[in-house]
Amino acid sequence: MAESRDILMPPAIGRSPDPYADEHRDFHLEEMVLNMGPQHPSTHGVLRLVLHLDGELIVSVDPQLGYLHRGFEKLAENRTYLQFFSMLARLDYLAGFFMEWAYVRAIEDLMQIEPPPRAEYLRVICGELNRIISHHMAIGDYLLNLGAVTPVLWAFRDREDVLDLLEMLTGQRMMYNFARVGGVRYDLPDGFAEQCRRFLKGFPAKIDEYEQLISGNEIFLARSLGMGVITPGQAADFGLSGPNLRATGVAMDLRRHAPYSVYPKLDFDIPVGKNGDSFDRYKCRIEELRQSVRIIEQALDAMPGGPVNMKVPPMLRPPAGEAFCAVETGRGEWSNYLVSDGSLRPHRLKLRDSCFVAISTLPKILPGFKIADVVGITGSLDLIMGAVDR
Amino acid sequence: MSAASKLTGEAALKQAEALLSSAGARARLARGRIVVTLEPADLVETAARLRDDEKLSFTYLSFVSGVDYPDRMEAVYILRSLEHQQLLELRVRLDRDRPSLPTVSGIWSTAAWHEREAYDLLGIVFEGHPDLRRILTRGEDGVFPLRKDARPHRVQRDEWSFAGIGAAKRLPGEEDRSERS
Repeated sequence: MAESRDILMPPAIGRSPDPYADEHRDFHLEEMVLNMGPQHPSTHGVLRLVLHLDGELIVSVDPQLGYLHRGFEKLAENRTYLQFFSMLARLDYLAGFFMEWAYVRAIEDLMQIEPPPRAEYLRVICGELNRIISHHMAIGDYLLNLGAVTPVLWAFRDREDVLDLLEMLTGQRMMYNFARVGGVRYDLPDGFAEQCRRFLKGFPAKIDEYEQLISGNEIFLARSLGMGVITPGQAADFGLSGPNLRATGVAMDLRRHAPYSVYPKLDFDIPVGKNGDSFDRYKCRIEELRQSVRIIEQALDAMPGGPVNMKVPPMLRPPAGEAFCAVETGRGEWSNYLVSDGSLRPHRLKLRDSCFVAISTLPKILPGFKIADVVGITGSLDLIMGAVDR
Repeated sequence: MSAASKLTGEAALKQAEALLSSAGARARLARGRIVVTLEPADLVETAARLRDDEKLSFTYLSFVSGVDYPDRMEAVYILRSLEHQQLLELRVRLDRDRPSLPTVSGIWSTAAWHEREAYDLLGIVFEGHPDLRRILTRGEDGVFPLRKDARPHRVQRDEWSFAGIGAAKRLPGEEDRSERS
């Protein structure tokens, strides 16, 4: 009886109540588990994060994948090489040409054929246009995650110009089906070069506009500088690639360090960051937009004449063996490990995606940040769940 | 990453051969990359050497996966040397009925998730793994979908033919696939 009266007694004058005092021990402080996703609008698809919170601070994160798992690798084993082809752009549906490119390169590697040079230039042009739309989405959606609506509208407005170009070139806005074993499907259509050059001329000014809008914004800086820092050592340990890796200061780009196609003949810089935080990741993507413009300009200038594809058997039957081919997408290393047993269907096709790896860093980089920064940091990593879950 | 630091394929192969400890391990060059074949017992030691060796420094693990062959299962590791622009493929031969090998997640942190995926899809058990759970599928039926003998559980129960549902028809000149595995 005496004890309960003590609790009901008002605190002594001049002393604020101490919430941790014994008398308040029924006031529990404990870890809270919060489920974020899979339908959360900032998860770019269906990523689910199980967050363990201490108040507002993150203690640990457990990402749950698989909500978009469609069994691509198994489906590939049940289809012929060409039947599987049209599915590839559904993996990373924002920049589908890279998947097609890696796949045909793996088959060409097994079959020991080399596409004509004009086809390689067309692949580079299509790939770099894909990189531009991929970065448009990355930057626009990242800012949308932080609550800024204008950048995503601007990004979508300018992305439309690139989609028009891609539609001219491939007949499709997103699911291209453009690469072929031994080349590409179509040659340049009439008027493409002119329209592309017009776009490339005006685009750098638009990149400057993005920078004026975003890069100096105080709220953006407060929410991106020092957020989600990854050190170069951690990045290598976790196998990060693409802008996420380059933001840490490691100048690794497969276009330069595992050269393929005609990239060795083209002149471009590899932008790197310094601190490995969200801001540097954003900045790397902005700079890569400029580099892509340079690459496409050079490719249009240097493109030789000649055929854009070559005769290959209608039923592909690559000789038995294992091929590994990687391309640098807008998000990092996308690679295929293709095992052929000499039959009409792949024996095994392993698809390696860089966003899968980027998500695996979240349990390492998120703890210690506030819950409001989860959407910011995951957004800055530029995740695309279609490619993660496969 | 200057041009001077770039090793030729042959020099890298020689260096890699020098690092292999046991007699069972072999290295060769194929399609522009070094392919090393190993026994499970040698994996961790060799992997650590490949990462730490100054002349090779395979610090970047691209992925871990596996391939289900008719007579065996193989775990595949693709390593990259950013500094020397080399590519190395580690292949570990496993018993198809009980595929297991030690984890390399202590050497490259990224391996933890790739190994979870390989476990989920192929049933390869990585001993010593800190958190070997399914990652892409729920695995309610204990099915490892990328094994050649995996069947969807509903089909298995009702004894329907798999060929009529998921798999494509037999194509001219192709062997009967129902016989396989």
